Amino acid sequence: MKIALRFSASVLALALATGAVVAQDLPIENAEWWQEAGAQFDGVTLRGVTESTPPSNFISDVLAPKFEELTGIGVDIETTSWDQMYDKAIKDMEAQTGIYDMVYIEQDIIYFYLARDFLVDITAALNEKPELKAANFSEENFTTFADNFRGDNGDLFGIPMEAFIKIYLYRTDLFNDPDVQAAFEAQYGRPLAPATTHEEYTEIAEFFTQWGKDHDMDLWGTTAQAHTGHPASWYEFFESVAPTFGVYNWGIDAGNNYAASVENGGSMNSDTAKEALTWWLHLRDIAPPESVQSTWSETATTFAAGRVAQGLIYGENAAWIASDESQSKVVGNVGVALPPLSDGVMEAAESGEGYVGYYDGGAFGLPVTSGNQDAALLFLQFMALPEVQEAWAVAAPRITLTSTYDAPSVQALDAELGGYYSMLRDDGRLFKGAPPYPFHRQVIEATAPTFYQILTGDLSVDEGLDMMAAQAEEELSNLGYRQ
Amino acid sequence: MRSNRLGWILLAPTMIILFLFGVVPFLYIIWLSFHQWNPAAVNPDIIFIGADNFRKLVFDPGFLASLGVTLAFVTFAVLSELVIGYLLAQAFMKDFPGKAFFRTIHTLPLIMAPIIVGSVWKLMTTPSIGIIPHFLDSWFGYELNIGQSAVAAFVVTVIMDIWHWTPLVTLTLIAALVSLPPDPFEQAQIDGAGKRQIFWHITLPMILPALMATVFIRLMDALRIVDEVLMLTGGGPGSATRFLGVHIFREVFPRTSYGYGSAVSLIVLYLTIVVCWLLYVSMLAPRNPKKD
Repeated sequence: MKIALRFSASVLALALATGAVVAQDLPIENAEWWQEAGAQFDGVTLRGVTESTPPSNFISDVLAPKFEELTGIGVDIETTSWDQMYDKAIKDMEAQTGIYDMVYIEQDIIYFYLARDFLVDITAALNEKPELKAANFSEENFTTFADNFRGDNGDLFGIPMEAFIKIYLYRTDLFNDPDVQAAFEAQYGRPLAPATTHEEYTEIAEFFTQWGKDHDMDLWGTTAQAHTGHPASWYEFFESVAPTFGVYNWGIDAGNNYAASVENGGSMNSDTAKEALTWWLHLRDIAPPESVQSTWSETATTFAAGRVAQGLIYGENAAWIASDESQSKVVGNVGVALPPLSDGVMEAAESGEGYVGYYDGGAFGLPVTSGNQDAALLFLQFMALPEVQEAWAVAAPRITLTSTYDAPSVQALDAELGGYYSMLRDDGRLFKGAPPYPFHRQVIEATAPTFYQILTGDLSVDEGLDMMAAQAEEELSNLGYRQ
Repeated sequence: MRSNRLGWILLAPTMIILFLFGVVPFLYIIWLSFHQWNPAAVNPDIIFIGADNFRKLVFDPGFLASLGVTLAFVTFAVLSELVIGYLLAQAFMKDFPGKAFFRTIHTLPLIMAPIIVGSVWKLMTTPSIGIIPHFLDSWFGYELNIGQSAVAAFVVTVIMDIWHWTPLVTLTLIAALVSLPPDPFEQAQIDGAGKRQIFWHITLPMILPALMATVFIRLMDALRIVDEVLMLTGGGPGSATRFLGVHIFREVFPRTSYGYGSAVSLIVLYLTIVVCWLLYVSMLAPRNPKKD
């Protein structure tokens, strides 16, 4: 009994000490101001709901306790699955129950939330209550990704907390292996290097899948986020693959009565879209067998397990793949590059008319139904303080403030990540978030069953994409967007 | 009269809770099913559209496909559970070494949350890392990939359901078998009846009420399966395992089509009642003729 008691006491002491270390790691400027600002909210506990991701876990494990220690305001962050997070947040705001004081807003849902007036105008709220505005908080600090969370009036409706690009990740140990290089050059007559075109990417993928077979290795040429019953596959195609061929905004033309089909002016079933899908399906066929059950998480796991030579991977997973030996077998062997592109796509991206891939991320918003709006405004600013960003960026590869790029530990990690942060800073402008539609999940759900049938081979690419374009237009007509 | 009033007072809390959390939501679903309501629409208001939602679902290929695979799923899963459950119950009626241990082990799936069951089966069936594809490949050269093969995905969902719920059938049938009087069996044996005759003419008729109660419970559960399947296959590949519960989930939550989703829910409820009623009428009612 005594031993058990001592052991429990030791564990408790260790936990407290660990918590103290974490808290000490975040020196907050103007601590007195935060104490005074929080004093008026004695007894208040803020409740937030977010997707369980490394950046969100940092909020619940590090930022929330630190904020609570500074201000006395309790913060209870619920981290859950992507579906559950939306389910809970939307139900709460729709039914106006006021359970949550903060909700995670993924970039692609903001337009729906704004259309439904779910969110508080944070810029206006802080202007109206200058006594709640922290000295170190400034909207000027944010990267341009924050623009995704602005309303028509230019005001901020969400505080960015994570931002990544979906990158082309490749194995440097394989790409730099002299035997592999020689074999590749002998077969294709050019040196092995990260692909810049789709044809090159296919050749590399085919080469490594064959290499794995020939050498009895669990190695394939590419990842494929090709789940046959989960929207992750839909997203991979329309947000990461189709744009590299020049099919943007899911092939729906918002400026042309939300047309999706070619006959009405859209491009969801265009020849280019069909070429893109055919290309991607071929990659799926030479990817590891688990690819047909892979969402965004599983492709990262597949890469980290050393089962593929290259792939399109969400940036939020890049850090642990490249640096966490407890989860990844390819630590130190990861390089990043821009996705392979068709002719003209880079020029379109440079001019702002197109984009080369998906810029993903999210923010924390303040529901108008919250009963603790003032206290929540404090926490939202706290999340955006420059002094908490460095530790956050190291714990999870996300950057939302421009100053974070210059932090020493971030620069060190950038080298370990093969230059991911540099790419985010320098080339982030070439990527783009989801199109500004308030009907994301509706169109996806209306068309996804057909998309899955294309993946299983029940429908051909031609027939399937034609059906999807018609289904998208029908759904948009039902919703009232398409006249 | 006084005791009647006391009875109502004691029942009142339960009745109120039942009304608020059972009847009111049900009435709300009925009301919603006659309306169009999608918060993502240009007009997010609730609009009365009469029976349009019901008319739409009659011709909705997605719903009809879901209905088809659900009925197939229910038939295979529930029948298999009944047969296996009965055989296990008979086995547990006999004494053998380690009986208590096996009986405990065999009920473990029953106490697992459906979402956990789905996760466990996903881990076990994922190609390359799952134990089931590994052994199927090693022993039989069969490459199981439930993300690719519609038949394999359907069969695995059925097996998963059997694994999860057969213990319930076993337990209820053990209870029924234990309560059977020994006399009819002894008399039948004296009269020279065989095991098959005893089963069809004595055992089955006598456990039929318990059996049917189990069938009703399993039917209702199987018709509304969601969690395990969402976790295991997401309804895929294609629409191979997009059972009615999954279809309703997709319509109501991601698609936010509340009115149409409510209509589908009502039809599923109606279908459940009809199937149970048909079973009752065909199997049990003839045994309980109304007395004039």
